[in-house]
Amino acid sequence: MISSALKALKANRLKTTLIYLSLIFSITSIFLISSISNGVISMYSSMLKTDGDIIITQAKISDTFFSNVDITLLDKINTLENIKSSSAIIVGASPVEKLPIVAIYGVTKNRFSNYKLVTNNYPKENEVLVGESIFNQLENKTSIEIANKTYKISGVFESSIGFENGGVVLNIEDAGKIFNKSASMIMVNSKIDANIDNLIKNISTLSSKIEVKSTESFVDNYNQFKIIQTSSNAVSFIAFAMGLLGIVSIMSITINQRKTEFGIKRAIGIPMRKIVFQIISESFILGFFSFLSAFFISHIILYFIKNSSHLQGYVNGEMSSSLALYVFIASIVMAILGSVIPALNAAKTDPVILIQGDKI
Amino acid sequence: MIKVTNITHFYEKDLALNNINLEIPKGEFLAIVGESGSGKSTLLSVISTLLKPTKGDVFFENINISDITNIDSFRQKNIGFIFQFHYLINYLTVKENIQIANELCLDEEIIELLELLNIEEIIDKYPNEISGGQRQRVAIARALINNPKVIFADEPTGNLDSKNSKNVFKIFRKLAKKGTTIIVATHDLKLAAKADKILEVKDGEL
Repeated sequence: MISSALKALKANRLKTTLIYLSLIFSITSIFLISSISNGVISMYSSMLKTDGDIIITQAKISDTFFSNVDITLLDKINTLENIKSSSAIIVGASPVEKLPIVAIYGVTKNRFSNYKLVTNNYPKENEVLVGESIFNQLENKTSIEIANKTYKISGVFESSIGFENGGVVLNIEDAGKIFNKSASMIMVNSKIDANIDNLIKNISTLSSKIEVKSTESFVDNYNQFKIIQTSSNAVSFIAFAMGLLGIVSIMSITINQRKTEFGIKRAIGIPMRKIVFQIISESFILGFFSFLSAFFISHIILYFIKNSSHLQGYVNGEMSSSLALYVFIASIVMAILGSVIPALNAAKTDPVILIQGDKI
Repeated sequence: MIKVTNITHFYEKDLALNNINLEIPKGEFLAIVGESGSGKSTLLSVISTLLKPTKGDVFFENINISDITNIDSFRQKNIGFIFQFHYLINYLTVKENIQIANELCLDEEIIELLELLNIEEIIDKYPNEISGGQRQRVAIARALINNPKVIFADEPTGNLDSKNSKNVFKIFRKLAKKGTTIIVATHDLKLAAKADKILEVKDGEL
């Protein structure tokens, strides 16, 4: 059956190629949109997760960019039991030279060690530490201008997280002057065996203007991630539907052209289910090979995206094995679903057309 | 073996067959003749189970065709079809084209059949690599592989030259001698004369 299906695909080369391309485009689109959105979510959540178990933001605020937390809370938090360390960060963005948007991180000094130095030193007042991918694109390698103020470049750091590697780090006090706030978030690192829920309760009592969550819960409920995920699912669904329609239409044309083949099969008594099975086998083979091709194409595209200087490392696809499995299932479902209606039509071919021609 | 009673068939409002009654005994070589549009192909389609008549019954070995639930299996076991065009599947070899009618048949059976039809040398060729006469003989082999009780042939020599046409009828004669019932629809009266019996269809009537 498989050999016969392969021969049928080979015999209808043009249509097979069209279906194959249609599937590859759809599957690659699903791969890219899903892995890029996963990558963005993963980069931001990795940034947050490296800094502790608890995150404190301004209460009733929808995005960390707009959050403003009183940095003096750090001292109160550090007096609580089971606290290992705490730090604060201001997250902002600004144009730098020709780059329209660059992430700016104002951090407390105890967070500097998160940024692995490549050259020179961590920043002092009026100085910035620049991520490697941004530094490579700067024309002036000694200083940068943020919000009409010049900052000396104290050093260059590298980070595996694209958002950081493409960002600028400075003292939280300097960042506070730029963005007019004392901190966007406070991150708390607890001692081993500490009860996180109790710690959250204790920190919450320190101010009514804050929202305290475990990092895990924060990442799971972060609105931006939900928006990215929902948009990604919507675009993936559209790509899936487009691929499906492509297969249905091309498969229908193919089946129509092979009507005499199915007519003769029906005439000699081949059951309808076998005809349906053959067409679905053809689609399965196409779905399988399209998936493999799309998988490799997506890896190549993601490699170029990751290394594109224009994207500053902010777009970094993450293709997990669960995503590959999900896309594989989607590919096979798309191929099979797209061929079910044409296959049923083929199986219903009335063999009398072989005798009566167009009369019936 | 086959009994046709009071068959009437309409294509929408057009009468194609009008109250046909017919009996065909086992092993008979029957030719149905008639001009184009006379209704001979419709009659063949009805007798061969491909077309359900508007009215009337077709009995095969005393079983009413309309009572058969698995018509595919019935056709596979009892009927062989040969059409004016060979309808071989281009992407399959001669051997594979024959095997689609019977997946369980042995290579020896196919070779034996091809030898009977004098085309054993083309077993691994594709339809586009063989002549028109050879293609039609492969179509006959495909029809014979299940040892059917009846062979229905619709204008089987329509695309063949006179030499190949005569050969096809010789094969039919051989098969009829072995007990296979042969029912051929043709407009070629010379070839029809080689059958045991000729029925003429005119304006949907015998």
